[in-house]
Amino acid sequence: MRRTTVVWLVARREILERGRSRSYLLSLLFTVFLLVAGFVLPALVMGDASTLRLALVGDAPAGLQPALAATAKAYDAKLEISAVPDRRAAEVALAAKAIDGALQVPADLSSAGTLLVQQRVDATLQGITGGAVIALRAGSTAVPPAMEVLDPPRDSDTTAIIFANAGIILMFIGIFTYGTWVLTGVVEEKQSRVVEVILSTVRPRDLLMGKVLGIGVLAIAQLVVLVAAGITASQLSGRLVLPPTTLGAVIQLLTWFILGFAFYSTAMGALGALASRPDEANNAAMPVTMSATLFYILSIVFVTQEPSGVLARVLTFLPLSAPMVVPLRAALGAIEPWEVVASIAVMVAAILLLFEAGARVYAGAVLQGGGRMKLRDAWRASR
Amino acid sequence: MLEIRGLTKRYGPVTALDGATFAARPGRLLGFLGPNGAGKTTTMRCVFGLATPDEGEVRWDGRPIDATTRLRFGYMPEQRGLYPRMRVAEQLVYFGRQHGMPARDARLRAGAWLERFGLTDRAKSKLEDLSHGNQQRVQLATALVHDPVLLVLDEPFSGLDPLGVATMAEVVRERAAAGVGVVFSSHQLDLVEEVCEDVVIISRGRVVAAGAIDELKSASGRRHLDVEIAGAGSSWPADAAGAAILGRSGDAVRLLVDETVDLGELLASARAAGEVRRFSYGPPKLSELFMEAVEAGA
Repeated sequence: MRRTTVVWLVARREILERGRSRSYLLSLLFTVFLLVAGFVLPALVMGDASTLRLALVGDAPAGLQPALAATAKAYDAKLEISAVPDRRAAEVALAAKAIDGALQVPADLSSAGTLLVQQRVDATLQGITGGAVIALRAGSTAVPPAMEVLDPPRDSDTTAIIFANAGIILMFIGIFTYGTWVLTGVVEEKQSRVVEVILSTVRPRDLLMGKVLGIGVLAIAQLVVLVAAGITASQLSGRLVLPPTTLGAVIQLLTWFILGFAFYSTAMGALGALASRPDEANNAAMPVTMSATLFYILSIVFVTQEPSGVLARVLTFLPLSAPMVVPLRAALGAIEPWEVVASIAVMVAAILLLFEAGARVYAGAVLQGGGRMKLRDAWRASR
Repeated sequence: MLEIRGLTKRYGPVTALDGATFAARPGRLLGFLGPNGAGKTTTMRCVFGLATPDEGEVRWDGRPIDATTRLRFGYMPEQRGLYPRMRVAEQLVYFGRQHGMPARDARLRAGAWLERFGLTDRAKSKLEDLSHGNQQRVQLATALVHDPVLLVLDEPFSGLDPLGVATMAEVVRERAAAGVGVVFSSHQLDLVEEVCEDVVIISRGRVVAAGAIDELKSASGRRHLDVEIAGAGSSWPADAAGAAILGRSGDAVRLLVDETVDLGELLASARAAGEVRRFSYGPPKLSELFMEAVEAGA
């Protein structure tokens, strides 16, 4: 009970002191601005990109073109209508992305015909063609043209890969931005000597935990704001169709962000205690940042290529790589649920162990003056 | 009562503490003295669990000390330090709460101490914006905010101007009067002599003298005699039997005499030499006892 209060007090101080700082609020605003601008500006500048290009195949029924134009107007969409002689020509034009869809309707309106698309259909285009054909064939059963997708997207679709990669990059940056806060926070407490006052009442482990927790809350707040702003902006600008796995991916990303942050920032905090000045801190934390970068590259290069391969499976259970590998494999749909559960268990155990070991190094190092301390000496100094 | 029992602490080849033993009684001011590197800071760190002794223990009211007991102690380390960018009042409230105070009490006490130190108008300032002296006052308030039953202050007077020294002395006296045990280290021995009731002198990790200052003084066989005779120059005393001359300055002379010396005879001899302007007899000063104890312990 008492320990929870202590950890919470430390965390609360971090949240209040840093959360109110101008740099945190500005970086929050700035990243949201960048994201929204990234989605909204292109939509404004390239307004023409939203023009839908439809080709009519062969002999189209009289009145189809005016009907399409009228429906498009009702949809408030720009529709550009061209004509191709036959289905082959339509397929070529679709593959070349010269058109968004090709509509083939028998001249006698004996059937509703077919709407050909390359990978996925634009909802507006589907609505316009459906509405126009149904209106033309008034009296018959109201069916829209059948849809034919020439090149349906496969599982390992590029969108999923882009999403997974963007998520990992975001996570990597987030973990190390805020991990550095923990690192410099520890060095600043050591340098300003306040740590001796604190440690006369708070145990080193609780101080380290509180710090990681408090800064973690700020990091997650930023991530949540960022993801929410990104999704909202993409939906409003209509520039990106989110894959159905989005929600799952976001949950995975958040879970692994929390685990990865706890793991890496605890290590950085413990190593930070070895330094005596802020400019030494980055050197002290080098082993952590280096191995994280190594595993990051491994995940991006090898796991993306072979998400179910042996290397990917091994990296899933290493605490150093799991925070990057697991969400990547999950986004690619190449991980078994049991692997996720087992990996989380390994990770939580590793974090708890690291809190003990890290606190010991921290306790041994943080009250020592003088220059930079060796890890081994710090380990021995406590106890 | 705080008891330090046989504390030994080694850092590699260096022995910082070598069986140090003493006690600090509630309601008394204890001056904790020793040359640099004698083990004062290490002892204080052992009290707060910041260093773990290799041997010996620290006891409070007859029981080995633990984290819960320590929450009722106040500490001011030699290396001062608070959060530079944190607001003064929030800082005090934070430390009060870390000592287990409810938020409301912590706010009340923080406000009261700031008022006491005349810092009410700086409550919302960042610590780094305060003058050095005011930062020291906040540091003391941090050690006091939770109304500790024991105050341990490492060099509380160092770096203070005379006004700051007066406030600091007043506050520690007042706390002791309220029944709090106060232990503080200092190199300003005259100040310690004036403020403290008890002293502990430590040298090379061992306690070389401990007790009430008055008792230590009277226990010392040495007595000082300061005599000033107008126009006598260095002529008096002609016969320094039973007395050693410690020093001269103009017409003044300082003698080291034995406790059993016949003062009447000495005074008569002085009057014969000229007009006696000063004739003062007394025990050695604390600083002299200190030198003696440290040299004897070496």
